[in-house]
Amino acid sequence: MVPRHASQTVLDVVTYIQRVLDPTLAYRFACRVGMCGSCAMTVNGAARWTCRTHVDKVYQKESLELAPLRNLPVVRDLVTDMREFFDKWARARGSFQGTKTRADDFEKISPGSEKRKQVDAAIECIGCGVCYSSCDVVAANPDYLGPAALNRAWTLVKDERDVEGVERLRAVAGDAGCHSCHTHMSCTERCPKQLSPTAGIAGLKREVSLALLTSAL
Amino acid sequence: MSAKAETLLWVMQRASAAVLGLCVLVHLGTMIYAVRGGLTAAEILSRTRGSAAWLAFYTVFVLAISLHVPIGLRTVLGEWLGWRGAVRSGLLFLFALAMAFTGMRAVIGVYS
Repeated sequence: MVPRHASQTVLDVVTYIQRVLDPTLAYRFACRVGMCGSCAMTVNGAARWTCRTHVDKVYQKESLELAPLRNLPVVRDLVTDMREFFDKWARARGSFQGTKTRADDFEKISPGSEKRKQVDAAIECIGCGVCYSSCDVVAANPDYLGPAALNRAWTLVKDERDVEGVERLRAVAGDAGCHSCHTHMSCTERCPKQLSPTAGIAGLKREVSLALLTSAL
Repeated sequence: MSAKAETLLWVMQRASAAVLGLCVLVHLGTMIYAVRGGLTAAEILSRTRGSAAWLAFYTVFVLAISLHVPIGLRTVLGEWLGWRGAVRSGLLFLFALAMAFTGMRAVIGVYS
């Protein structure tokens, strides 16, 4: 049994278990304040940041059920292998491709422009994997790039400085890409940053379809 | 399958869904109207025989179904059974042709 305290987080519980009850327990954490995303786990069936989840909020029937993130290989206990998750960011062409050098002046992007507002709405992702773990399409189709990688691609599609263009749209289209999303919205419901990868994926579907209809794809 | 082909299938399924949404409403509305006071084959045929409007409507309906169902089934087979690749697409193409053929046979049957 883990003693209860006021304002106790699920990460506090996991830490107590490792320090007092079972020193062999493996889990991952770093910042403890909701900045790094590394403490994400499945708590009572739902993926969450354990450092930002109060026990009071998820406590059911005198117990908590802790499990590693779903849809990722387990390294040990509560630790998952995130390689595939981040490899998919690369497959979705999640790297910025610009043309300017450090000798050039800054690009001037108005914060009020429509494109920049769409980027702002999606840019705060810290790559915790909660959306990926919550996605039923990833469970059904392991090749699916997933909400985080597609959300990242969406921020670059809408970035006026980025020049990857249609190559990125090709990378995110199809069976492993945005067209597989069934709009279940689990990613949007569970995202601890309150982002909406679903909206970004819908935007990618629109952009890819437009590219097809204008023969650019 | 290429990104272009996958996107084309997705667009076709969305477009056919929009058409089907309208077709189903008209079809159900007609059914509710038609069954008042009983339903007979003669009554149905009296409405459809020689009617170019019903021929056009049900032709669009059948063709939209023949596009929509196989594309959706393709996704179901991929996600539920892990069945992907050219054989799946080829068989579903034949399934689409069979749906269009049998559907159009029925449409022409009640027209002529």
